[in-house]
Amino acid sequence: MRINSKLLGGLLALTLGHSASAVAGLNIFACEPEYAALAKELAPDASIYSATTAMQDPHQVQARPSLIAKMRQADLALCAGADLEIGWLPMLQMKSANANVRDGSDGMLYAAELIETLDKLDKVDRSMGDVHAKGNPHLHFSPRRFLQVAEAVTARLKRLDGDDSAAYDAAFARFSERWQAAIPGWEASAQELAGRKVIAYHTSFRYLFDWLGIEQVADLEPKPGLPPSSGHLASLLERARKGDVSAIVVASYQDTRGANWLAEKAGLPVLVLPMSVGGNEESQDLFSLYDSVINLLKGAN
Amino acid sequence: MNIFRLSVLASALISAAAAAETPTLGNPAISAVLDGYYQSGDRALGGREEGFGLGESELAISANIDDLFYGKLTTVIEAHDGETELELEEAFIQTLALPGGLSVRAGRFLSDVGYLNNQHLHSDAFAGRPAVYRAFLGSHYFDDGLRLSWVAPTDLYWTFGVEGFKGDKMRAEDEHSEREFDTVGVYNAFTKLGGDIGDNSSWQLGLAYMKNQNGRLTPHEEGEEVHAEDEHAHDHSHSAAYTGENTYVADFVYKWAPNGNYKYQHLTLSGEFFRVNDFKAPELHEEEHEEEEGHEHAHGKDYHQGWYLSGVYQFSPSWSAGLRYGELDTQLAHDDHFDAQKLKETEVSLNWHHSHFSTVRLQYTRQQGTNFDGISDDNLFTLQYVMTLGAHGAHQF
Repeated sequence: MRINSKLLGGLLALTLGHSASAVAGLNIFACEPEYAALAKELAPDASIYSATTAMQDPHQVQARPSLIAKMRQADLALCAGADLEIGWLPMLQMKSANANVRDGSDGMLYAAELIETLDKLDKVDRSMGDVHAKGNPHLHFSPRRFLQVAEAVTARLKRLDGDDSAAYDAAFARFSERWQAAIPGWEASAQELAGRKVIAYHTSFRYLFDWLGIEQVADLEPKPGLPPSSGHLASLLERARKGDVSAIVVASYQDTRGANWLAEKAGLPVLVLPMSVGGNEESQDLFSLYDSVINLLKGAN
Repeated sequence: MNIFRLSVLASALISAAAAAETPTLGNPAISAVLDGYYQSGDRALGGREEGFGLGESELAISANIDDLFYGKLTTVIEAHDGETELELEEAFIQTLALPGGLSVRAGRFLSDVGYLNNQHLHSDAFAGRPAVYRAFLGSHYFDDGLRLSWVAPTDLYWTFGVEGFKGDKMRAEDEHSEREFDTVGVYNAFTKLGGDIGDNSSWQLGLAYMKNQNGRLTPHEEGEEVHAEDEHAHDHSHSAAYTGENTYVADFVYKWAPNGNYKYQHLTLSGEFFRVNDFKAPELHEEEHEEEEGHEHAHGKDYHQGWYLSGVYQFSPSWSAGLRYGELDTQLAHDDHFDAQKLKETEVSLNWHHSHFSTVRLQYTRQQGTNFDGISDDNLFTLQYVMTLGAHGAHQF
């Protein structure tokens, strides 16, 4: 009857999709693809799941059944934090009934809490739009901050999975070395972009622009979280006619209609940048994501 | 064009995330919901009334109590018939660290029966709950009790739970207050399954069985009329208008968004089916005989039943539209027999969302009643706003 029981087990595994790989290492739940990609660098043996893709606005996610099921099995959840996931992560934590990923547990890590975010606010009011006090959460385009996050993730991995300490140290050393070697290359390549002025959708690339010296002079959103309105676009056209703006920048999950209208009227290029790994063909990992956004920005003369 | 001196403004433009901090001990999540409306007529079965009015204005506070418990308190203020009522909708604690995917919730909370019931009214796409909810659950079934639930450690979402409640709201009529009711009146067992289909779609199926110890009608006495309608049509006590000993519920939800990106467009299809059996009093035997005038005669069935189907499409960040159709078949106790009643509701809503936090809704409702007092074929218009302030609400599936 051994065959039968095997068959049954196989069927059961198929029906329930139970991840057999949990044996191989930790089970990591990443809120955004950049954290799934980081986990891949730092914990190659782990079973990693990304709750969102680069085509999805990570703020507008729903606490859907599949995410609850994945959260239920996680040993570690890696998220941007700074309230980016405020609409769905607390509910996943509640519904998954998994003590590992409670706030304050070793298995719940918010990147924004490990570094100094940009644009922290002392005073917030919803009349300013959908803003918050903890600063901008899209910090994965700050290479130095992201390295700090990587270090903290490694410390956390070691605490959760002490037996493999040496392997985690080695993985971090490898990543850190490659990352630090890549930074000067990116900076050299992006030198010509310093001082550029762009109009962008939201503050999605705040850290990238901060790093490369690009200035976002206007926002397609009238207020954070509000869709571009025709009146607002008209005022942006006025701004663009000053002639100092070089491009309109939109992230891979943002609607390009407003940007296209403005681009046509103002004679500017629209650059759709991948927001994260998987946001375009080229962005297969963190390194190629950085390569891709810099190449796309340079492509706009 | 100082307005667009964004280098200055940029410091105030933060990523799309909320004003509220993640709730902590020293900083609980506090939120309020404001709901006001004008409606051109009365809704059947305890829906909104004609004229200007307030819906459920809600004030909620929640936080982790410590590393083992979470707590929430929700008060609802309702005004109708010139009176203001304060009601406690939620006052519960929930465990955070039980092993094996188990959790316990205790206190007053929303039952996990059906799809809509565990969600707050302000997140609905229509101005009221479907007729099945108003008939069988008092619109929104919250009660004092205990829940034990379990989430399976599988990639397919599977949860199972049991609840026990006081069940006062689900009691059958008792005109003479002589009946001995069970103090734990309602037991509910539910299960939900769900998952994704590719990047674009997600689904969930739910089944529930609710046992109501006090659901059967009280044995009938000569000359008395049990008229659920009169008792409940304008009774906002949140009691169920029709009860029975055994209730079976099946529900489904399907959501679609291009690339799974809910920001610009998404579609939600959902439906629920309720059947309530065993409502007749033990001594009450149905006798077939001719009706008095003015009532359409129909054989009373042995069950109440209802269902609805709903589709809501958000076609831009600012606009969404919904269409919902539902039917209700109930048996109204009348002297020593039952009269069949039917209610059909068609609802169309158009919603404007200026932001994540505000909705203005225009809704058209057609209610067609057979044997429902005062409802024959009515066309209603509702103009409503629902707005939230304070902590960021949850995007519940």
